[in-house]
Amino acid sequence: MTRVLSVVAVVAALVGLFLFGLLRGSPDRDISSNMLGKVVPSFELPLYERYQTSYGPSFNLADFDGQPRVVNFWASWCGPCYEEAPELEATYRAYQDDVLFIGVQTQDKGKLAEGRDFINQFDLTFPNVIDDNSAVSIDYGVFGVPETFFIHADGTLAYKHVGPVSTEVLETQIKALLQ
Amino acid sequence: MKQEARSKEQEKVMVFNLPSSFLNLPSRALLTLLLLTTLSYALTQDLDREVFNISRQLRCPVCVAESVADSGAEVSVEMRNIVQAQLEEGKSEAEILAYFQARYGDWILLEPPKRGFHLLVWILPLAAGLIGLVVLGFLFKRWTRASRQPIEVDDADLRRVREALEQSR
Amino acid sequence: MFDPSLSQLGTTSVFLALGLSLYAIVAGVLGAVRRDARLQTSARYAAVAVFLAMTTAIALLEVALLTDDFSVKYVAEHSRLASPTWVKIVTLWSALEGSVMLWGWLLTAYTALIAITSPNNVLRPWALVVLQTVQIFFIGVVASVANPFVFVASPVLDGAGPNPLLQNHWMMAIHPVLLYLGYVGLSVPFAFAMAALITRRPGTEWMTQTRLWTLTGWGFLSAGIIAGGWWSYEVLGWGGYWAWDPVENVSFMPWLTATAFIHSVQVQERRRMLKSWNVLLIITTFALSILGTFLIRSGVISSVHSFGDGPVGPIFLAFFGVVTVISFGLVAWRWDQVRDNAELDAVLSREGSFLAGNVLMLALTFAILLGTLFPLIVDSISGDKVTVGAPFFNQISVPVWLLIFLLMGIGPLMPWRKAKEQSLLRNLAWMLGGGVLAAGAAYLFGIRRVYPLLTIAVSAYNLVSLGLLIAGAVVPRARLSGRSVASVFKQYAFESKRRFGSMIVHFGVIVIALGVMASSAYRVDEQISIPYGESVTFQGYELRAIGQFMEARRGDGSLIDMQTQTTANRAELNRVSAGSEVELWRNGRQVTTLRPRINTFGDSRPVVTPSVLYRFEHDIYLSIVGEFAAGQNFTALRAVQSPLVSWIWVGGLIMVLGTAYALSPNYRRARVTREAEGVLKA
Repeated sequence: MTRVLSVVAVVAALVGLFLFGLLRGSPDRDISSNMLGKVVPSFELPLYERYQTSYGPSFNLADFDGQPRVVNFWASWCGPCYEEAPELEATYRAYQDDVLFIGVQTQDKGKLAEGRDFINQFDLTFPNVIDDNSAVSIDYGVFGVPETFFIHADGTLAYKHVGPVSTEVLETQIKALLQ
Repeated sequence: MKQEARSKEQEKVMVFNLPSSFLNLPSRALLTLLLLTTLSYALTQDLDREVFNISRQLRCPVCVAESVADSGAEVSVEMRNIVQAQLEEGKSEAEILAYFQARYGDWILLEPPKRGFHLLVWILPLAAGLIGLVVLGFLFKRWTRASRQPIEVDDADLRRVREALEQSR
Repeated sequence: MFDPSLSQLGTTSVFLALGLSLYAIVAGVLGAVRRDARLQTSARYAAVAVFLAMTTAIALLEVALLTDDFSVKYVAEHSRLASPTWVKIVTLWSALEGSVMLWGWLLTAYTALIAITSPNNVLRPWALVVLQTVQIFFIGVVASVANPFVFVASPVLDGAGPNPLLQNHWMMAIHPVLLYLGYVGLSVPFAFAMAALITRRPGTEWMTQTRLWTLTGWGFLSAGIIAGGWWSYEVLGWGGYWAWDPVENVSFMPWLTATAFIHSVQVQERRRMLKSWNVLLIITTFALSILGTFLIRSGVISSVHSFGDGPVGPIFLAFFGVVTVISFGLVAWRWDQVRDNAELDAVLSREGSFLAGNVLMLALTFAILLGTLFPLIVDSISGDKVTVGAPFFNQISVPVWLLIFLLMGIGPLMPWRKAKEQSLLRNLAWMLGGGVLAAGAAYLFGIRRVYPLLTIAVSAYNLVSLGLLIAGAVVPRARLSGRSVASVFKQYAFESKRRFGSMIVHFGVIVIALGVMASSAYRVDEQISIPYGESVTFQGYELRAIGQFMEARRGDGSLIDMQTQTTANRAELNRVSAGSEVELWRNGRQVTTLRPRINTFGDSRPVVTPSVLYRFEHDIYLSIVGEFAAGQNFTALRAVQSPLVSWIWVGGLIMVLGTAYALSPNYRRARVTREAEGVLKA
């Protein structure tokens, strides 16, 4: 009888493991960033035309040291990015004196027309840059889009959000940045 | 938590938008192949063999389960270029792998780092093999000893067998 | 316009099969328990009826596919007007519902065959019950959550078509079917093993009865795995054939345990040992195949191959749990009847080598299982994300395979019971000598790396072993009978089909080992840009980029002339290909023209399709990488040279031929048996 019980125990453990696997959903990229607490890499990338009057032809992240920043990676083919864009824009308009939002179009090689359409569709007033060869997203350890990075004024990473970001998350994280 | 990771096939060529209503063949074909507004026809970078050896140890971040060497995703192409650039700078394989590990964590390595809990995936199979062979050796000993035991024969049985043999002659 | 009758007929067939299966189980159990011959016969008829019902269902789905009946849900989701006929046929198994139905159908076919041909004994009714139980699961899944026949009231005008990777190559017609035939074939010994446990006869009958089925299933599984490797090679564009992807691992593990099984059953046949071991092995093989189908269809572990989601995952998990608990539990319950009083005369014997080989194969299976599940385990314990990929599996498996090959060489040379020391040492001397010589020659040839040298040594060792085996069988007979060696060899080959077949299979394995070694260790990958009109050297070849090409084809394969025909009927346009034409030159002469391309099927995403030059000593493999645009003045290619990679496919073919040969009936023995029977009757 103990033998039968041990068989049941082993099978139950295996089935339990697989149940966990079924329930956790699609997990692979929900990985917390390796850079938490460390200084994020700087980058200099070309801006879309509509921002060039305010910021010049290109945008350098290091120029804005001393200010809290939110860097959002998106692509024109990414469905959830369309969901979060209006919330990003609304939150930016509320906090634009304190926090700078930067949108980075990445993993989207050559899709400038689509990127322009995306920006115009949501009338994004925060600067958006073009990471054509996806080098910056690699530097940030971005797995997929969208991902949003919340950066302290001193340049260290406070939090990375994987997936579309909601107004609640944005507000919570920005308040944390402003403390 | 929803997130979109682009499938590897989608990454391979950038240009395929086929509006299904559009049936004109040459235009359609042209559209399927047209490189869009980026008119810099920069040659895709030539890569050394060493790049592939190193990329084979890195996992493509946006693919389902492929190495950076094998995948055609944009990100993989760029990662290979980065590996090439670092090789030209003289970095070693370990340094290059560490560069990506610093950004993506242990997940990016196709071989779990040999420390902590992850050592188990290396040790357990080895242990299983060794234990199996040890148990086998033990069983061998027991089984060969069993076969060497002489079969016990009763004297009475022996006599009966002999008598039966005599009778059958 | 679309009438639902086909849909309804299909669903009815499936439900009919389900009901008949249920009846077969009930009648079978009652007939077995009460030893009622009429009930048992009724159950056997029911098994055939289930097969007929499922055949009807399969046929109806094929009819729906071939007539483009988009009112059937499966056709609407997975088929397309413009596809060629063969694609429509194979679309049957290109998605979840159809593939489950295919597995179920093949299972009913095997069960019906068993019902008809299996000898009448105590095991048969229970074996049929077990097979019907597995069958009813698959049919039940089709009848409930994965019904392809659901009626779509407002059907689309044209479907989406199957996954583009599954219509890009004819191997789609073969690989899944071979694999399923393998899994289903191995369910037969499992069913008989369970019958033996239920009827408390865990002796040899269940094995000897199923020997042909086991070997057939194993042969199909081997062929399926190798076919899958070749398909990956020809279709996926990265120049490799095995990535240790979880789905690949999950087909490899039951193959390993099945290989261990076909060797250890020989020990049980000869020496009446290892009863419990054999039962456990075949249950493990079956459990691993069910685990495999669960992992593929649930998406629990990320893999390029995984398809299917929704409620199917938990259902297959539940089935896996039930199967494992009942079968292993039954073994535990009947342990006292199953355990052996084993006796071994000597460790150095064929039994000893088979046992050691078994342990190694099981250790490797455990390693692969652990590696495949490890990311899941780590995530469940600490939430960390880790990857276990090809480098891990390669490092673990190569040393184990080398050890297995060492046993593969010496094992068949050792007699049963006890090896005579003198002849063993003499044989070993020849084999090791051959191995050292070959390694030395390879070293002189320039091969310096350890694993390739060891593989070459072990391969030569095995070839010498095969030579010694043949010489040992043929030469004494030739001497005694005074006939020529050739005629004795011919007679030996014809009479000892099982033995000679196994030699052919082992030879095939060695060919594969050499192919794998060379193509992994000495593979050269490069990424090259060639401006059109210019050329670049690669590994002794001159690659001349000629220009771009573009073509559109209809489903029947005919080209659509894009100059004259400017509009294409969507219902006609099967495939648009665009690629680069590259000529390969060597020593001033053109060898071939390769056309790596990008294929698009209808509205599908584009798939990169490589172009390969096959040669005995290496392959040259080109595929498009990076950007590809019309009017581009250069082509960016991944170029791969893989030495000896075609040896893998050839070796696989040799293995299959050897298996078929070992299975082929022995006509002379049958004739002799009939003659003997005739004499007895006279």
